[in-house]
Amino acid sequence: MPPNTHASPLESLQRDLPSRVGPWSAAGKDRFFNAETLFGYINGGTEVYRAYNLRQCLSRRYSVSGGPSILLDIFDMGSSEDAYGVFTHDLDGDKFAIGQDGRLRPGWLSFWQDRFFVSIYTEEETEAAQNAVIEIGQKVAASIGSTGARPELISRLPAAGLQSDRVRYLHHPVVLNFHYYLSDENLLHISPDTKVALADYRFDNQTATFLLVQYPTAEAAIRSQEKFLKYYIPDANARGVALLENGRWTAIRRIDNLLAIVLEADSEARAEALLDNMP
Amino acid sequence: MTQKRKIITRRDFLRTGSCAVMGTMMGFPLVARAAAQATRKSTVVLIRNANATSGYGTLDEKIVVQMLDEAVMVMLDTRDPGSAWRQIASPDDTVGIKSNVWGRLPTPGALERAITARLLAVGVDGNRIAVDDRKVRSNPVFKRATVLINIRPMRTHHWSGLGSLLKNYIMFVPRPWAYHGNACERLGTIWQEPHVAGKTRLNILVMLTPLFHGVGPHHFSRRYTWPYGGLIVSTDPVAADATGAQIIQAQRNRHFNQVRPISPRPLHIEAADTKFGLGNSHPDQITLVKLGWEDEGLI
Repeated sequence: MPPNTHASPLESLQRDLPSRVGPWSAAGKDRFFNAETLFGYINGGTEVYRAYNLRQCLSRRYSVSGGPSILLDIFDMGSSEDAYGVFTHDLDGDKFAIGQDGRLRPGWLSFWQDRFFVSIYTEEETEAAQNAVIEIGQKVAASIGSTGARPELISRLPAAGLQSDRVRYLHHPVVLNFHYYLSDENLLHISPDTKVALADYRFDNQTATFLLVQYPTAEAAIRSQEKFLKYYIPDANARGVALLENGRWTAIRRIDNLLAIVLEADSEARAEALLDNMP
Repeated sequence: MTQKRKIITRRDFLRTGSCAVMGTMMGFPLVARAAAQATRKSTVVLIRNANATSGYGTLDEKIVVQMLDEAVMVMLDTRDPGSAWRQIASPDDTVGIKSNVWGRLPTPGALERAITARLLAVGVDGNRIAVDDRKVRSNPVFKRATVLINIRPMRTHHWSGLGSLLKNYIMFVPRPWAYHGNACERLGTIWQEPHVAGKTRLNILVMLTPLFHGVGPHHFSRRYTWPYGGLIVSTDPVAADATGAQIIQAQRNRHFNQVRPISPRPLHIEAADTKFGLGNSHPDQITLVKLGWEDEGLI
């Protein structure tokens, strides 16, 4: 059959998805949702996907007699950057070699691949269901086939001490506050036009949290830097470094349209070293 | 000299020790209270029973209904349930029971039935009682409602931090997503809408098996529920939510063995107090009456 040139990426992918895995088989018709209709499916969770420019979601339910259903949800995020980003919203779990950066927890497998974020979920965590979840994941990953690139911004994170499996990518202030509460207002003017990387660092027994924001222009970065200094660290020294009330250190530096902020570090020297070591 | 605008940041919490002391980012700061804010304390009744539930998806209907009766009597300072419910509704009233149908943790039908039965018992016509969630805007009883009763289970939520009593009214507006900005901070404005304002006589936060953490697109795993066996009852939705939030936060800290703040911070609870004057969010302004089972109460 010739490919349907009008089909969306998910509709194209749908043809290659497994209809049966072990005793589980696809039940009912697949459902498709867009950024508006997704509310009726996953309620408030929709906002997370909208914050990453969701294009479409395909949902397929697999059922088995006498066992739990398995839900396959594939989200077309429009770009590999946003697929990676929405994947990084939940990094808990064990690394698992499926798709790109697969993560496995009891009852839930997630990964990103190319422009897709894939979630496979079962409400009852039986061994058989968990095995079926994994097999579905392997088949979906094979159906997608191609891989995608991580956001270029990630490569600007200092390499030393970076916990590469604890990097998050976003462009919405509520998502930032979800992972690291900074302020009730959007202090850094994070918007769909900004790209943000939030990363954890570890050095022996020291830790740090690093935030990197890429603005469309240097002027926008300057405005956010000024606001951060005014409202968050008015007590900063001339180098933009301040001691927080919990004994940790914050530091900020602008490089053209990039704003680099060490949100917390164990020492002043560590905070400044992180900024100095940006590639 | 211009006055620097107050923006609440993480440092406000660090400065006051809120994170360390409470293990949460709730209840701070009392920077500016809404003009309409009542200065009197709010009463919240927390009732628990070890046998109310044995875990997710289970409840003992008889026990849970007894808990509801006892909590409402204490809340309204009466000696019998009938007298309490007569304070909530009269035979002339039209009553909407705002429930919650979220499939993984809905309002228990047993409680919906019990509330309906008590309204019937005080003389409210059955045709003027309705239980609804998603279709409250088109429900004829809700359209004519003179009294609202608000009941839902508490759970964590992707975007608002918590699925709360305050948030339960989001179905009263035509475009719920219009209230999702800044972690749903403006939910309190819904309570000021003419078809809602001043009608809520009772708020019941179901804490039988609350969800204290969510994973994945569906934000649910039964392993993040626990048999708390509680109901929180108050005429003040903000105080009830703030109390529930403290319990959820304490359970998160206990389960993860570290301070793990509810994320995003449930701004809407605090804003309902400080910006919209709907009630009290700060523990200092809440009189908590605890009844029943005391083990691992977390508050």
